[in-house]
Amino acid sequence: MTATSSPPAERGVAALARPRFSPRAPSHDERQALILLAPLLIVLAVVAVFPIIYSFYTSLFDINLARPLRQPFVWFDNYVRMLGEPRIQIALWRTAVFTVVTVAGTTLAALVVALFLNETFRGRRILAILLLVPWATPSVVNGLMWKWIYDSNYGVLNGLLQALGLIDNYKIWLADPDKTLYLIANAAIWKQMPLSAILLLVTMKSIPEDLYKAARVDGANVVQRFLNVTLPALRPGLMLVLVYETMISIRHFDLFMLLTQGGPGNASSTLSWQIYVETFRSLRFGTGSALAYILAFLTLILGALMIRLGWRREAR
Amino acid sequence: MTMSVDRRAVLAGLGASASLPLLGSLSRPAAAAGETISYTAWSAAVDQVQSHIHAFEKASGIAVRYENFPGAQFRASLVTKFTSNEPLDLIWMNDAWTPEFAEAGWITPIDDVPQLMAYNADVQKYCTDAMRYKGRQYGLVYYTDHMSFMYNKEMLDKAGFEKPPATWDEVVQQGLKLKQMGLAEYPLMLALTADAWLIEMIGPFVYSFGGTYTDPAGLSTLRDPGNGALAAATWMRDAIHTHKIVSPGAVTTSEIDALKAFASGKSAFAILPSYRIRVLNDPAQAKVAGNIRINLMPAGSGAKAGNHTCGWVRYYGLTPHARATKAREAAVMKLMEWFGGKVDDKYVFQKMLLLDVGVPFCTKSLMQDTDVLAFYDKWAGGEGTILKQSSMAITKDVISPWFGEWNETNNQSWQSVFLNQSTPAAGLAASGDKWNQLKKQFG
Repeated sequence: MTATSSPPAERGVAALARPRFSPRAPSHDERQALILLAPLLIVLAVVAVFPIIYSFYTSLFDINLARPLRQPFVWFDNYVRMLGEPRIQIALWRTAVFTVVTVAGTTLAALVVALFLNETFRGRRILAILLLVPWATPSVVNGLMWKWIYDSNYGVLNGLLQALGLIDNYKIWLADPDKTLYLIANAAIWKQMPLSAILLLVTMKSIPEDLYKAARVDGANVVQRFLNVTLPALRPGLMLVLVYETMISIRHFDLFMLLTQGGPGNASSTLSWQIYVETFRSLRFGTGSALAYILAFLTLILGALMIRLGWRREAR
Repeated sequence: MTMSVDRRAVLAGLGASASLPLLGSLSRPAAAAGETISYTAWSAAVDQVQSHIHAFEKASGIAVRYENFPGAQFRASLVTKFTSNEPLDLIWMNDAWTPEFAEAGWITPIDDVPQLMAYNADVQKYCTDAMRYKGRQYGLVYYTDHMSFMYNKEMLDKAGFEKPPATWDEVVQQGLKLKQMGLAEYPLMLALTADAWLIEMIGPFVYSFGGTYTDPAGLSTLRDPGNGALAAATWMRDAIHTHKIVSPGAVTTSEIDALKAFASGKSAFAILPSYRIRVLNDPAQAKVAGNIRINLMPAGSGAKAGNHTCGWVRYYGLTPHARATKAREAAVMKLMEWFGGKVDDKYVFQKMLLLDVGVPFCTKSLMQDTDVLAFYDKWAGGEGTILKQSSMAITKDVISPWFGEWNETNNQSWQSVFLNQSTPAAGLAASGDKWNQLKKQFG
């Protein structure tokens, strides 16, 4: 108790005299906390930290499981080789296109839905609950559902378009390399949009009604109120949606696996699909791990950039 | 209402649950006291395999742990298990994996076991050849099959064709007429999705046009302009884009999708494994039942062209773990013979697979069996064509330690031709270059 009872000036001098990062024995409470947290930390170390470090270690070797006796250490050769391969460059491009289309589509659709649900009308709450169904649908079920929707023989998309007189014959949607990526993006938007809409709706609800009243007094119409009141106030929610959706879209895998397996040809071969092919089909764990790290770094850099840009504008 | 749980009750519960496995083990055959041997397969003929394993356990007193994985993931599952040193004993093998698995030391030869090698005398030579690598034999045959050219007789009758097409040119001519008459939008059903089946779907075209993938030195022939493979790729591209007798959706059609579509009467011709004939002529399973026939693979143009098709062999392989001890080795050999050989002097499992599922075998003596002949009469309108085609089947000339790795590129190269994204020459050159690069890399 002596330390706390000494005068402030004295404590300041003592603090200055001490080295800045001197080791300090943990207090009783800290020790207790550490003991209680230990099981969780151990589990985390085993299931998260170790695999992350080990996969990086793996990425430095030329590992092909089918050749178990030959696994030379190659430094960063796997990274260089993968980035130099045309199929990986194509996959990077397709990943970028898919991400931009999915994030833009999801955000726009979510914004429209959130604006709609922000209005007062009968059945709004039920509609908001129903809206979450696509988000709550398991990814595999979602993938299979869209596979059936797009099916060229019995798909509901063909049936609907033909009933509306928009097409004469059934189209083979997923076999068209020019459309495949966008059709998969459409399925991804359908699944991802509800959560984004709810996030935007929550932000909209926090906008003070007084701002709208003031805008109306100033003679602002609906569009002007949206552009000058709603949109600026929505910026934190939009940033959250953009960052989250980018992270999800750039790593998207399940729809590619279920709908096209990277095909036809390489029309839907994204980076995440190439990681799967490299690792689990070609059994090259070294290059597969390198690709996974490339994707992780891209996600990290993109996320950090978006957060930084958004934070700066917010600060301004 | 509150439930009181005392320490004694908890301990009693734990004791009871701990004893459950013990009770389970008591119900197993007597020899479960010894080691359990494993049987790893892909998810096919599961009921037949299970019943045959139960019969084995009962007869031998040896316990068997059977597990199966989907065919598409089977190779990766096996490789993962081998690299993590999981103790496997008997495995189903694809002939295409033999060099890769043998080089890695995951399978072991059986040619030092006279009891098993004796079966070779009653097995077609190409089947035993398919299980050999560097002069050693790695197993006993599970089944063999080849791609067959199937046609819908009723549809051809309606179009006024007395005979099915004998050449690929005739396929185009008949296909165009069927299309013109509105009998089928896409008369030839092909499954060209980029999966494990694709090389066996392309094979009939390559071989019937007299083509090859490699030369005797093992180098790729896909850049050779005189190679029948190039003529085959050109024909396939034209069938999709010029004549439109094959659906452009073929590039996303799997073998099972093609089977279902052909079974529903959507097309007049299809290339499918011959064992599918049973399903296609079963009224309970196919709308077209009774109308599906098999003809020899149409011949392509060119000096080396013929009615060849692509054949394959699947077999029972043995792991080094199976031979770790004499007792285990004896038990696993017994299981291998139970499936790949005779039981009480009869080929029980091979016959069961044919009669129940339609899967053909390599055993010569069984081809004269009255039940087998009756099966072919009932489902395939006589076994003559199937056997004749079987004798003209060619096993893939790309079986190598790098097959799995190369096949990824090969699938994409052929698909780029089917999509008209690259010329047949460019597509095949990409595949050939990858082959030569891997051959050099593997030494």
